[in-house]
Amino acid sequence: MISCTEFIPAYSELFKYLEEQGGRPAVVKFWEHLSDRYLDNLRELAREHGLRGCWLYWQQTLNEEAADFTMTLDEELGEFRIDMHHCPSKGRLLQYGQIHPYPDYCRHCDLLYRRVLEPLGFSYEIDLSRADRAACAIIVRRGR
Amino acid sequence: MPRETITRRAADNVYLHRDFHCALNEALDYLDANYGAAAVREYLRRFAASYHAPLTAAICRRGLPALREYLEEIYRIEGGRMKLAGDADQLRLEVLECPAVVHIRRQGRQPCARFVETVRTVYATICTGTPFVFTLLDYDPATGAGVRLFKRRLP
Repeated sequence: MISCTEFIPAYSELFKYLEEQGGRPAVVKFWEHLSDRYLDNLRELAREHGLRGCWLYWQQTLNEEAADFTMTLDEELGEFRIDMHHCPSKGRLLQYGQIHPYPDYCRHCDLLYRRVLEPLGFSYEIDLSRADRAACAIIVRRGR
Repeated sequence: MPRETITRRAADNVYLHRDFHCALNEALDYLDANYGAAAVREYLRRFAASYHAPLTAAICRRGLPALREYLEEIYRIEGGRMKLAGDADQLRLEVLECPAVVHIRRQGRQPCARFVETVRTVYATICTGTPFVFTLLDYDPATGAGVRLFKRRLP
Protein backbone atom coordinates (compact mmCIF):
# COMPACT_ATOMS: atom_id res chain seq x y z
CA MET A 1 0.00 0.00 0.00
CA ILE A 2 1.08 3.50 -0.70
CA SER A 3 -0.29 5.42 2.27
CA CYS A 4 -2.23 8.59 1.54
CA THR A 5 0.49 10.28 3.62
CA GLU A 6 2.97 9.20 0.91
CA PHE A 7 0.89 10.41 -2.01
CA ILE A 8 2.61 13.77 -2.52
CA PRO A 9 6.06 12.34 -3.34
CA ALA A 10 4.33 9.73 -5.53
CA TYR A 11 2.51 12.54 -7.36
CA SER A 12 5.70 14.56 -7.83
CA GLU A 13 7.53 11.51 -9.16
CA LEU A 14 4.65 10.87 -11.57
CA PHE A 15 5.00 14.36 -13.05
CA LYS A 16 8.71 13.70 -13.58
CA TYR A 17 7.98 10.35 -15.20
CA LEU A 18 5.36 11.83 -17.55
CA GLU A 19 7.64 14.68 -18.53
CA GLU A 20 10.33 12.17 -19.42
CA GLN A 21 7.84 10.28 -21.62
CA GLY A 22 6.29 13.20 -23.50
CA GLY A 23 7.68 16.49 -22.26
CA ARG A 24 5.64 19.20 -20.56
CA PRO A 25 2.54 18.54 -22.76
CA ALA A 26 2.29 15.04 -21.29
CA VAL A 27 2.19 16.49 -17.76
CA VAL A 28 -0.40 19.12 -18.69
CA LYS A 29 -2.56 16.51 -20.41
CA PHE A 30 -2.57 14.45 -17.22
CA TRP A 31 -3.48 17.48 -15.09
CA GLU A 32 -6.41 18.18 -17.42
CA HIS A 33 -7.54 14.58 -17.13
CA LEU A 34 -7.31 14.69 -13.35
CA SER A 35 -9.23 17.97 -13.19
CA ASP A 36 -12.03 16.52 -15.31
CA ARG A 37 -12.20 13.19 -13.50
CA TYR A 38 -11.28 13.89 -9.90
CA LEU A 39 -12.72 17.28 -8.96
CA ASP A 40 -16.45 16.57 -9.29
CA ASN A 41 -16.89 17.49 -5.64
CA LEU A 42 -15.56 21.04 -6.13
CA ARG A 43 -17.49 21.39 -9.38
CA GLU A 44 -20.79 20.41 -7.77
CA LEU A 45 -20.27 22.53 -4.66
CA ALA A 46 -19.31 25.62 -6.67
CA ARG A 47 -22.22 25.11 -9.05
CA GLU A 48 -24.72 24.72 -6.21
CA HIS A 49 -23.38 27.20 -3.65
CA GLY A 50 -21.28 29.64 -5.66
CA LEU A 51 -18.28 31.04 -3.80
CA ARG A 52 -19.48 29.33 -0.63
CA GLY A 53 -19.00 26.05 -2.47
CA CYS A 54 -15.28 26.88 -2.74
CA TRP A 55 -15.26 27.61 1.00
CA LEU A 56 -16.92 24.27 1.75
CA TYR A 57 -14.60 22.31 -0.53
CA TRP A 58 -11.33 23.75 0.72
CA GLN A 59 -12.48 23.78 4.34
CA GLN A 60 -12.55 20.00 4.20
CA THR A 61 -9.47 19.35 2.08
CA LEU A 62 -7.16 21.87 3.78
CA ASN A 63 -8.09 20.60 7.24
CA GLU A 64 -7.51 16.98 6.18
CA GLU A 65 -4.18 18.00 4.69
CA ALA A 66 -3.24 19.76 7.95
CA ALA A 67 -2.44 22.94 6.07
CA ASP A 68 -1.32 26.20 7.69
CA PHE A 69 -3.70 28.67 6.08
CA THR A 70 -6.16 31.53 6.31
CA MET A 71 -9.34 31.24 4.27
CA THR A 72 -11.64 34.22 3.70
CA LEU A 73 -15.10 34.36 2.16
CA ASP A 74 -16.66 37.74 1.38
CA GLU A 75 -19.88 37.08 -0.49
CA GLU A 76 -20.81 40.77 -0.66
CA LEU A 77 -17.52 41.55 -2.35
CA GLY A 78 -17.81 38.36 -4.40
CA GLU A 79 -14.44 37.02 -3.35
CA PHE A 80 -13.03 33.83 -1.85
CA ARG A 81 -9.38 33.75 -0.86
CA ILE A 82 -6.87 31.23 0.47
CA ASP A 83 -3.62 32.49 1.94
CA MET A 84 -1.48 29.40 2.25
CA HIS A 85 1.11 30.21 4.89
CA HIS A 86 2.69 26.77 4.62
CA CYS A 87 1.49 24.22 2.09
CA PRO A 88 1.72 20.70 3.56
CA SER A 89 2.37 19.17 0.13
CA LYS A 90 5.12 21.49 -1.07
CA GLY A 91 6.48 21.70 2.45
CA ARG A 92 6.92 17.93 2.55
CA LEU A 93 8.54 17.85 -0.88
CA LEU A 94 11.06 20.46 0.20
CA GLN A 95 11.85 18.47 3.35
CA TYR A 96 12.59 15.09 1.79
CA GLY A 97 16.27 14.59 1.25
CA GLN A 98 15.88 11.52 -0.94
CA ILE A 99 13.79 13.02 -3.76
CA HIS A 100 13.97 16.11 -5.93
CA PRO A 101 10.51 17.62 -6.40
CA TYR A 102 9.15 18.14 -9.89
CA PRO A 103 10.36 21.68 -10.63
CA ASP A 104 6.93 23.09 -11.50
CA TYR A 105 5.02 21.00 -8.97
CA CYS A 106 2.79 23.83 -7.73
CA ARG A 107 1.51 24.64 -11.21
CA HIS A 108 -0.95 21.75 -11.03
CA CYS A 109 -2.96 23.77 -8.47
CA ASP A 110 -3.30 26.49 -11.09
CA LEU A 111 -4.48 24.23 -13.90
CA LEU A 112 -6.68 21.79 -11.96
CA TYR A 113 -8.86 24.36 -10.16
CA ARG A 114 -8.90 26.97 -12.92
CA ARG A 115 -10.25 24.34 -15.30
CA VAL A 116 -13.16 23.65 -12.92
CA LEU A 117 -13.99 27.20 -11.84
CA GLU A 118 -13.63 29.35 -14.95
CA PRO A 119 -16.27 27.45 -16.97
CA LEU A 120 -18.66 28.08 -14.05
CA GLY A 121 -18.18 31.84 -14.42
CA PHE A 122 -15.59 32.48 -11.71
CA SER A 123 -12.25 34.17 -12.19
CA TYR A 124 -9.28 32.34 -10.70
CA GLU A 125 -5.96 33.84 -9.71
CA ILE A 126 -2.98 32.15 -8.12
CA ASP A 127 0.18 33.71 -6.76
CA LEU A 128 3.03 31.19 -6.80
CA SER A 129 5.81 33.74 -6.26
CA ARG A 130 6.59 32.24 -2.81
CA ALA A 131 6.20 28.60 -3.85
CA ASP A 132 9.87 27.97 -3.06
CA ARG A 133 8.90 28.62 0.59
CA ALA A 134 5.75 26.45 0.35
CA ALA A 135 3.52 29.54 0.43
CA CYS A 136 0.96 30.75 -2.11
CA ALA A 137 -2.38 32.53 -2.46
CA ILE A 138 -5.52 31.74 -4.44
CA ILE A 139 -8.29 34.24 -5.16
CA VAL A 140 -11.60 33.19 -6.71
CA ARG A 141 -14.01 35.94 -7.74
CA ARG A 142 -17.62 35.77 -8.85
CA GLY A 143 -17.99 36.86 -12.48
CA ARG A 144 -15.06 37.47 -14.81
CA MET B 1 -23.51 37.80 4.89
CA PRO B 2 -20.51 39.22 6.78
CA ARG B 3 -16.95 38.40 5.86
CA GLU B 4 -15.94 34.97 7.21
CA THR B 5 -12.41 33.92 8.03
CA ILE B 6 -10.79 30.70 9.20
CA THR B 7 -7.16 30.37 10.22
CA ARG B 8 -5.61 26.99 10.97
CA ARG B 9 -2.12 25.95 11.93
CA ALA B 10 -0.67 22.66 10.71
CA ALA B 11 -0.71 21.34 14.29
CA ASP B 12 -4.50 21.85 14.53
CA ASN B 13 -5.18 18.79 12.37
CA VAL B 14 -3.87 15.31 11.63
CA TYR B 15 -2.36 14.87 8.17
CA LEU B 16 -4.70 12.30 6.66
CA HIS B 17 -6.36 13.21 3.37
CA ARG B 18 -7.81 9.86 2.31
CA ASP B 19 -8.96 11.15 -1.06
CA PHE B 20 -5.32 11.00 -2.13
CA HIS B 21 -5.96 7.26 -2.53
CA CYS B 22 -8.52 8.12 -5.23
CA ALA B 23 -6.10 10.52 -6.90
CA LEU B 24 -3.40 7.85 -7.03
CA ASN B 25 -5.92 5.38 -8.42
CA GLU B 26 -6.83 7.85 -11.17
CA ALA B 27 -3.16 8.42 -11.90
CA LEU B 28 -2.39 4.70 -12.27
CA ASP B 29 -5.45 4.15 -14.42
CA TYR B 30 -4.40 7.05 -16.65
CA LEU B 31 -0.86 5.74 -16.94
CA ASP B 32 -2.12 2.26 -17.81
CA ALA B 33 -4.56 3.55 -20.46
CA ASN B 34 -2.08 5.92 -22.10
CA TYR B 35 1.31 4.30 -21.61
CA GLY B 36 0.61 0.66 -20.75
CA ALA B 37 1.09 -1.73 -17.84
CA ALA B 38 4.89 -1.66 -18.08
CA ALA B 39 4.80 2.10 -17.55
CA VAL B 40 2.75 1.68 -14.37
CA ARG B 41 5.32 -0.74 -13.00
CA GLU B 42 8.28 1.37 -14.09
CA TYR B 43 6.81 4.54 -12.57
CA LEU B 44 6.09 2.77 -9.26
CA ARG B 45 9.55 1.23 -9.29
CA ARG B 46 11.15 4.65 -9.69
CA PHE B 47 8.93 6.15 -6.99
CA ALA B 48 9.74 3.38 -4.52
CA ALA B 49 13.46 3.39 -5.35
CA SER B 50 13.75 7.11 -4.60
CA TYR B 51 11.17 7.77 -1.89
CA HIS B 52 11.84 4.55 0.03
CA ALA B 53 15.63 4.70 -0.30
CA PRO B 54 15.99 5.46 3.45
CA LEU B 55 13.77 2.47 4.31
CA THR B 56 15.76 0.18 2.00
CA ALA B 57 18.96 1.39 3.64
CA ALA B 58 17.47 0.76 7.10
CA ILE B 59 16.51 -2.80 6.10
CA CYS B 60 20.10 -3.41 4.96
CA ARG B 61 21.37 -2.08 8.30
CA ARG B 62 18.81 -3.47 10.75
CA GLY B 63 16.96 -6.21 8.89
CA LEU B 64 13.23 -6.86 8.99
CA PRO B 65 12.53 -4.89 12.21
CA ALA B 66 12.98 -1.71 10.15
CA LEU B 67 10.34 -2.89 7.68
CA ARG B 68 8.05 -4.03 10.45
CA GLU B 69 8.18 -0.61 12.11
CA TYR B 70 7.37 1.08 8.81
CA LEU B 71 4.38 -1.19 8.12
CA GLU B 72 3.04 -0.84 11.66
CA GLU B 73 3.23 2.93 11.37
CA ILE B 74 1.42 3.34 8.05
CA TYR B 75 -1.32 0.85 8.97
CA ARG B 76 -1.73 2.61 12.34
CA ILE B 77 -2.08 6.00 10.64
CA GLU B 78 -4.53 4.64 8.07
CA GLY B 79 -6.46 2.54 10.58
CA GLY B 80 -5.94 -0.57 8.46
CA ARG B 81 -6.69 -4.04 9.77
CA MET B 82 -3.67 -6.33 9.45
CA LYS B 83 -1.55 -8.91 11.26
CA LEU B 84 2.23 -9.05 11.27
CA ALA B 85 4.20 -12.16 12.19
CA GLY B 86 7.71 -13.40 11.66
CA ASP B 87 11.28 -13.58 12.83
CA ALA B 88 14.70 -12.41 11.65
CA ASP B 89 14.36 -14.33 8.37
CA GLN B 90 10.82 -13.58 7.30
CA LEU B 91 7.97 -11.18 7.87
CA ARG B 92 4.40 -12.08 6.99
CA LEU B 93 1.93 -9.23 6.55
CA GLU B 94 -1.66 -10.35 6.39
CA VAL B 95 -3.88 -7.49 5.33
CA LEU B 96 -7.50 -8.06 6.30
CA GLU B 97 -8.72 -4.94 4.54
CA CYS B 98 -6.61 -2.42 2.64
CA PRO B 99 -7.47 1.15 3.72
CA ALA B 100 -6.71 2.49 0.24
CA VAL B 101 -9.02 0.05 -1.57
CA VAL B 102 -11.75 0.50 1.03
CA HIS B 103 -11.65 4.29 0.70
CA ILE B 104 -11.69 4.20 -3.12
CA ARG B 105 -14.76 1.96 -3.05
CA ARG B 106 -16.49 4.10 -0.41
CA GLN B 107 -16.18 7.03 -2.80
CA GLY B 108 -18.09 5.04 -5.41
CA ARG B 109 -14.99 4.38 -7.51
CA GLN B 110 -13.32 1.14 -8.60
CA PRO B 111 -9.67 0.37 -7.90
CA CYS B 112 -7.94 0.30 -11.28
CA ALA B 113 -6.71 -2.95 -12.83
CA ARG B 114 -3.06 -2.23 -11.87
CA PHE B 115 -3.74 -1.12 -8.30
CA VAL B 116 -2.13 -4.33 -7.06
CA GLU B 117 1.21 -2.92 -8.28
CA THR B 118 1.14 -0.44 -5.37
CA VAL B 119 1.87 -3.57 -3.35
CA ARG B 120 3.77 -5.91 -5.70
CA THR B 121 6.08 -3.45 -7.44
CA VAL B 122 6.53 -1.10 -4.48
CA TYR B 123 7.42 -3.80 -1.94
CA ALA B 124 9.63 -5.67 -4.40
CA THR B 125 11.51 -2.44 -5.07
CA ILE B 126 11.89 -1.68 -1.38
CA CYS B 127 13.59 -5.08 -1.02
CA THR B 128 15.93 -4.59 -3.98
CA GLY B 129 19.52 -4.55 -2.76
CA THR B 130 18.56 -5.94 0.65
CA PRO B 131 19.03 -9.53 1.87
CA PHE B 132 15.25 -10.02 1.49
CA VAL B 133 12.83 -10.78 -1.31
CA PHE B 134 9.15 -9.95 -1.56
CA THR B 135 6.37 -12.29 -2.66
CA LEU B 136 2.70 -11.46 -2.94
CA LEU B 137 1.10 -14.72 -1.89
CA ASP B 138 -2.47 -13.68 -2.56
CA TYR B 139 -4.45 -10.53 -3.18
CA ASP B 140 -8.17 -9.83 -3.34
CA PRO B 141 -8.76 -6.88 -5.69
CA ALA B 142 -12.16 -6.25 -4.09
CA THR B 143 -10.70 -5.42 -0.66
CA GLY B 144 -6.94 -5.38 -1.06
CA ALA B 145 -6.83 -8.19 1.49
CA GLY B 146 -4.15 -10.86 1.20
CA VAL B 147 -0.80 -12.05 2.36
CA ARG B 148 2.48 -10.28 1.68
CA LEU B 149 5.68 -12.17 2.49
CA PHE B 150 9.18 -10.77 2.95
CA LYS B 151 11.74 -13.55 3.18
CA ARG B 152 15.52 -13.79 3.43
CA ARG B 153 17.06 -14.62 0.05
CA LEU B 154 18.54 -18.05 -0.33
CA PRO B 155 22.36 -18.00 -0.35
